[in-house]
Amino acid sequence: MDTVISVRGLRMSYGERQVLRGLDLDLRRGETVALLGPNGAGKTTTIEILQGLRTRAAGDVEVLGEDPARGADAWRARLGTVLQDWHDHPRWQVRTLLDHVAAHYPAPWDTDELLRTLGLEGHATARVRELSGGQRRRLDVGLGIVGRPELLFLDEPTTGFDPEARREFHELIESLDITILLTTHDLAEAERLADRVAVLLDGRIAIFGTPKEVAAAVQAPSLVRWRDGCERTDDPSGLAWRLHQRYGGPVPELEIRRPTLEESYLNLVERSAA
Amino acid sequence: MNTMALGIRRGLIEQNSILRDRKELGTNIAGLVMYLMLILWIGRNPAGGGVDMTGFMTVGFVAFTVFSAGVMTLPMLIAADREEGALLRLRMLPRGVPVYITGRTVSLTLHIAVHSALMLAIGGAIGGVALPSSLYGWATLIWVLGLGALSVIPLGAMIGVMLPTAKAAAAAVGLPTMLLMIASGVMIPMTMMPAPVQWIAQIFPLYWQGHGLRAAFFDSPGGELHKTWELGTAAMVMGAWAAAGMVLAPWLLRRVTRK
Repeated sequence: MDTVISVRGLRMSYGERQVLRGLDLDLRRGETVALLGPNGAGKTTTIEILQGLRTRAAGDVEVLGEDPARGADAWRARLGTVLQDWHDHPRWQVRTLLDHVAAHYPAPWDTDELLRTLGLEGHATARVRELSGGQRRRLDVGLGIVGRPELLFLDEPTTGFDPEARREFHELIESLDITILLTTHDLAEAERLADRVAVLLDGRIAIFGTPKEVAAAVQAPSLVRWRDGCERTDDPSGLAWRLHQRYGGPVPELEIRRPTLEESYLNLVERSAA
Repeated sequence: MNTMALGIRRGLIEQNSILRDRKELGTNIAGLVMYLMLILWIGRNPAGGGVDMTGFMTVGFVAFTVFSAGVMTLPMLIAADREEGALLRLRMLPRGVPVYITGRTVSLTLHIAVHSALMLAIGGAIGGVALPSSLYGWATLIWVLGLGALSVIPLGAMIGVMLPTAKAAAAAVGLPTMLLMIASGVMIPMTMMPAPVQWIAQIFPLYWQGHGLRAAFFDSPGGELHKTWELGTAAMVMGAWAAAGMVLAPWLLRRVTRK
């Protein structure tokens, strides 16, 4: 019962092009998992299959204990989704839209409470198209969670955000206590929000673990910088020791930077492309 | 809330938010002003069969309202709903698809009812256009409006799902709709058209929508193309369009939305 998403050997192709070739993925209840991968790696396809919007070619998929391809309304009521680029219902008032979407669910949030949580209580009677980009995205999150879902899909949620809107969004997501599957191109975002990170390459999960585990497994080089030079190395400690001997004492302006998730990720993608 | 009630509420909210939209309101008022200017300008001229142009054009505008709601307004709304993401959002909500379809049906029916009522009210106040006086006339009015709407709504839904954007929908259906409006005898009496135009126009439901409504409002068929009321033919042509649309539209919808 603690597994929310279970995927085994998922395959999908568009015509001749194989997009997914044996993808395995597990999400435990309550965790946030970031699905990373280059454009065209099949992230959106994977999410659409998990939501039951797309029919898979092969593989076993269970989401909240059911096969998404056969998911009925009762199952759909336990999911929430926030996609990129939604501009729908521009003429509706914010509160009216939240009320209407809430009425589709058996046990939704109270609209006033949700408006407060989203920081939109001052915009309840505004038309949706009058909201700023950041407010609109917070409304999208509200529409995604209004039905109190057990599982939330976030597809590249902060594309085009300014830094302040991004931070507000991150704080909102961190305050939710539900299982989240997130796709993003922003590696800092993945590192901040995700308990575990899955990297999708060539239609398979190339690596799946905590951001630290991913960095360790990929062994991206660390950057060592000092007054007279700069070097990338897999053995920063050894290099520092040799420098120490060369200078016959402390190394001037020594700086060692371990790889971030971004560097580990780029390293992995480059290796797979080679 | 049950699905039907939720769909009806959706339709009411949709129509209400369109009515409050300044741009939409402007377009609607512009249409009414055009109608008003036309009846003030040429309303006293005879249209044949003892009917003046005010009566003829009032009924014609109602017919065109039904037709354009189906083949122009509906495709643009559907294309916009897809472009903006409303269709995808509704697909992911429990009961979202039936609620959407019910909502669109309700909002389109309200659109037709409000426009028709406004034009009949203006025509009545300014040009003395009288509502049907007999029960038979009212029955004709109701079935012609209903079947006329059914003949164009599935067609409009198909156009809406095939065209990528609301702009593309407006561009694709705008000109053909205007040509049909001129050719179908709803603004200009059909007897004034050359024979080939008359034949082509009789293939489309708009001519029969207008003909059926005139049968509901006016006594004498003297101004009609064949000098007689042809309600059987009207029912057959509009019925054929409705039946073809209702068979083809679900098939096309499945093809387009399947992934």
